[in-house]
Amino acid sequence: MKVIETDIAVIGAGPAGLAAALEASRLGKQVTLIERSDDLGGILQQCIHDGFGLVRFKKQLSGPQYAERFIEKLKASDVSLLLDTTVLSIENKVIRAVSPREGVLEIRPGAIVLAMGCRERTRSQVEIYGTRPSGVMTAGTVQRYINLEGYLPGRRAVILGSGDIGMIMARRMHLEGIEVLGVYELMPEVGGLARNVYQCLIDYDIPLHLSTTVREVFGKERLEGVRVVKVDKNRRPIEGTEEDIACDLLVLSVGLIPENELSRKAGVLISPVTQGPVLDESMMTSVPGIFAAGNVSIVFDLVDYVSDSAEAAARGAVRYLDGQAPSAEPLDVIAGENVASLLPTQYRVDYVGDELSFYLRVRKMESNVRVTLRQGKRVIKSKKQLVVRPAEMVTLTLSREDLTLIEPDTPLEIHIET
Amino acid sequence: MVKRLKRIIAEYVDTSQFPINATVREDGVVILEGEAPDWKTADELAHRVAKSKKVRNVINHLSCDGKSLAYIPKKELIDQGRALGTLDEADVIIVGAGVIGSGIARELSKYNLDIVVLEKGDDISQGASKANNGMIHSGNAVVPGTLKAKLNVEGNAMYSDWAADLQFEFKRIGSFGLSYNKKDRHTLWLSWIAGRLNKVPGMRFISPDTFLEMEKDVEVRPRRVLYAPTTAYVDGFEVTIALAENAAMNGVRFHLSTEVVDVDVEDGVVRGVVTDRGLVKGRLVINAAGVFADEIAAMAGDQFYTLHPRKGVIAIFDKEKKGPDRSLNGRPYVHQKNTKGGGVQRTVSGNPLWGPNAVEILDKTDLSVQPEDLDYVMGSGSVVCPGTKRSEIIASFAGIRPADYKEDFIIERSRVVRGFIHVAGIQSPGLAAAPAIAKMVEELTADELGKLSRRGDWNPIREKPVVFSKLSPEEQERLISENPLYGHIVCRCETISEGEIVDAIRRPIPAVTFDAIKRRVRATAGRCQGGFCGPRILEIIMRETGLRPEEVRKQGKDSYIVAGTIRDRCDEADCCETRASAGVSEGIAQETGAHHESD
Ligand SMILES: Cc1cc2nc3c(=O)[nH]c(=O)nc-3n(C[C@H](O)[C@H](O)[C@H](O)COP(=O)(O)OP(=O)(O)OC[C@H]3O[C@@H](n4cnc5c(N)ncnc54)[C@H](O)[C@@H]3O)c2cc1C
Ligand SMILES: Cc1cc2nc3c(=O)[nH]c(=O)nc-3n(C[C@H](O)[C@H](O)[C@H](O)COP(=O)(O)OP(=O)(O)OC[C@H]3O[C@@H](n4cnc5c(N)ncnc54)[C@H](O)[C@@H]3O)c2cc1C
Repeated sequence: MKVIETDIAVIGAGPAGLAAALEASRLGKQVTLIERSDDLGGILQQCIHDGFGLVRFKKQLSGPQYAERFIEKLKASDVSLLLDTTVLSIENKVIRAVSPREGVLEIRPGAIVLAMGCRERTRSQVEIYGTRPSGVMTAGTVQRYINLEGYLPGRRAVILGSGDIGMIMARRMHLEGIEVLGVYELMPEVGGLARNVYQCLIDYDIPLHLSTTVREVFGKERLEGVRVVKVDKNRRPIEGTEEDIACDLLVLSVGLIPENELSRKAGVLISPVTQGPVLDESMMTSVPGIFAAGNVSIVFDLVDYVSDSAEAAARGAVRYLDGQAPSAEPLDVIAGENVASLLPTQYRVDYVGDELSFYLRVRKMESNVRVTLRQGKRVIKSKKQLVVRPAEMVTLTLSREDLTLIEPDTPLEIHIET
Repeated sequence: MVKRLKRIIAEYVDTSQFPINATVREDGVVILEGEAPDWKTADELAHRVAKSKKVRNVINHLSCDGKSLAYIPKKELIDQGRALGTLDEADVIIVGAGVIGSGIARELSKYNLDIVVLEKGDDISQGASKANNGMIHSGNAVVPGTLKAKLNVEGNAMYSDWAADLQFEFKRIGSFGLSYNKKDRHTLWLSWIAGRLNKVPGMRFISPDTFLEMEKDVEVRPRRVLYAPTTAYVDGFEVTIALAENAAMNGVRFHLSTEVVDVDVEDGVVRGVVTDRGLVKGRLVINAAGVFADEIAAMAGDQFYTLHPRKGVIAIFDKEKKGPDRSLNGRPYVHQKNTKGGGVQRTVSGNPLWGPNAVEILDKTDLSVQPEDLDYVMGSGSVVCPGTKRSEIIASFAGIRPADYKEDFIIERSRVVRGFIHVAGIQSPGLAAAPAIAKMVEELTADELGKLSRRGDWNPIREKPVVFSKLSPEEQERLISENPLYGHIVCRCETISEGEIVDAIRRPIPAVTFDAIKRRVRATAGRCQGGFCGPRILEIIMRETGLRPEEVRKQGKDSYIVAGTIRDRCDEADCCETRASAGVSEGIAQETGAHHESD
């Protein structure tokens, strides 16, 4: 068994892992980047549509193009790469991985950055009855079949869920000659970005049905059809509104959740708020020395924020190795009014970074609101925002000065105030 | 007897509106015909008739809305099979590769016999054997004096040897019957009495404290606890594949995707069967076709029972969910007839399993799961695991019990034709009784064919396939150096390597569909349900078998995974152009990133 010693091990080479590795390396640490597949870029490799990089590069790039910017830099850096290498477990900060060439590897780092990304929610996480035929798959799987493998996953498709990947795949399928019969969304509003409704659905005359869901699937071997039904405001099916639609493909775009398998094995606490690890202001988990970045920590909407969060995690890991990590007892950051998910959920007052960004997702759409961070009655920071929507992340960035306003002992709260 | 039957019918159904006819055959078999008000009534009526004195069994040809369980010959397939000529020849033809057919095949492979197994599915175990609770019942839930009871207790005892030879996962950790109030106390006493009469070893009442000590995650304290230490747990599919592989190693030939559509009988003697892929000649047909065994019997001209499909739905939860390790029969809040209770247990791989319910249906292939099914399953499970939400279910599926109206196993030589053995009505506890059923059929086979001579080279051992994730790092290292494919992890949820998937494809009974692979190595069975590893498994199957993408199946001939390749279409002139220009229009509006904010 080969043993590798390194300063920082980064697990996963999607946009998060790439950015974390580069940042840690730039700050002078020896970095080992471990990636399961044989190429870099993670999920971005199958996202051939553009719309990546507007925030960081002020440019519309495709997924692979966005990744390429980091990959080039990485190749010029002294980050060591372990490709085709899957991490199986993390115990006491010792990583065990396997690869066809190297066999079993033991990696002993000073700090770890988890960057395994997220996974899609599946049929088992939505209430669909009926049979179990082939032809029911997630949008990401469809994306992979079409964009990377060049296969036609079906001929007549119904899409459940109006998440971004679902809408993007509606358009892709349409262009590949698959008849897209409609997008059905349980909630009264779209799950993905508004721009995608226009560019992916309306432009191609693909109907969108809100407050409607797929209740049952038919077909003993291949999918033969689905039964859709309208739902009331409590999301319960309204009897008499059922409609059967013949199709051979049901595409699920019903949400993403952080990949927690390894995080759990490593013993880190999982937050019920983000469904990813509990993290503090420097993206450190409940296990000292283990950090998380990108979609493994919270599902971001834009890849740019994924990269930002990864650089923050890398800086946290470097400070930890240098013995300068904040050590005060963490304050909780509480998800308040209309806040569904939030990062970080902990803050230490002796943090000395330049600035700090909070990322949050709201429960419901509201307009003319203020995003406010408070401590007890005191407002630490507040900003106006025209609209907030569940599909779009809200950021609140605190400067060094803002941070000095935070006092020990009282938990912080973030609210969307109307 | 006809009069008595008329009375039974008239008591239950308004015969002026629904004229129902009962014919009594010489052999004591009653045939019911006519239109019934609904299937529940038809089913209940057949049960009542079956209970009547001197009735050997019931053939139920009652119909509802034009549908019935009467056997209709598949004429086209019969003609097709006959036209194709001989597919194979053997001494013994076993119809159906469920746990029963595979168990019999393995038992008979000890002898100098040429054996074939014919299975209509594209993998073995396509019926009840793949969709059950995996419980090796102790024998305290079956009616004393029945064949079921005898074979259940005997089969249970024989499982330790099967598990040792065939190397499937096996946990003999016992089960509990619980009572919470006066009403269920009665039911619990009944199982105690049944257990005593059936001679269930070691069964006893234990104190609720001892119980809570043994099952630390159970919060609701029962009043009484009946403990049956011999109850064990297996994965029904794994048992079946182990049996089939061992049989195949010992020379049994398995023909998959081969449906028996007729039985050739000449002068009262069986000559073989007709399948959709040709004729198979043989001296003895063993009918182990699960819920279709009544149809095979009809093909042989010896139908004396109807198998009525009784659907059961099971729900599976994530391994991390708390709950008991052993089966708890927490008396369901609605008492359903003909289920062993439907409780809470854990599969051998550690997932909590709840259910099943029991619903009489008319379509033997209806495996759909309906909201009412899960209502029942959730209700019965919540007795012992309160507060569980439906959204915690990670998978639910249905299985079909093949029940006759006597509600007992039918294992006997045909009284009408030579060379035909019925192994029918093998409902629960069929999995538990399987070893004893195989033994019994071995004896019936000797009765049919005369003394059997043993082979000198029979090998009872089936080696367990590699399970990479369970090996020590040293063993993993060694394996990868021998075959690098073990170092390539394909399924991240269950940590399954490419090496294991290739093994499954190359074993004695090859796995070439998604479901066949899933059942053997659990790839695609994890949390992502194949979303991530599906495309890779498709590639591996194609590479190993030479199939084209659209030829790879999930399970069943129409269950293609992908409909074809996009490159096919790309020959069309303007296709690529359209795609390229779409890429440009995919540009995002300037609004993004701006996020409507102003400080
Ligand atoms: C199917 C799918 C489609 C998406 N499409 C879009 C889109 O069109 N537009 C968009 O803006 N966002 C999309 N997203 C969101 C996207 O995940 C993020 O924008 C971004 O790619 C997240 O970056 P990441 O580095 O956190 O994760 P990822 O890009 O997922 O990278 C994680 C990496 O970790 C590796 N890894 C995981 N586990 C291990 C292990 N045990 N050992 C070694 N390596 C491991 C993986 O192989 C992968 O390369 C999509 C997400 C999914 C799941
Ligand atoms: C929900 C449920 C839970 C259960 N739980 C338990 C339990 O915990 N313990 C227990 O002991 N028992 C249990 N059982 C019962 C047990 O599963 C069955 O008794 C057992 O699997 C029957 O095996 P079999 O081989 O007879 O039938 P099957 O497994 O149904 O096999 C029959 C095979 O024959 C094939 N076939 C049918 N017709 C033809 C044809 N014309 N030509 C070729 N092939 C054909 C089918 O495709 C099938 O593969 C349960 C059953 C159900 C439904």
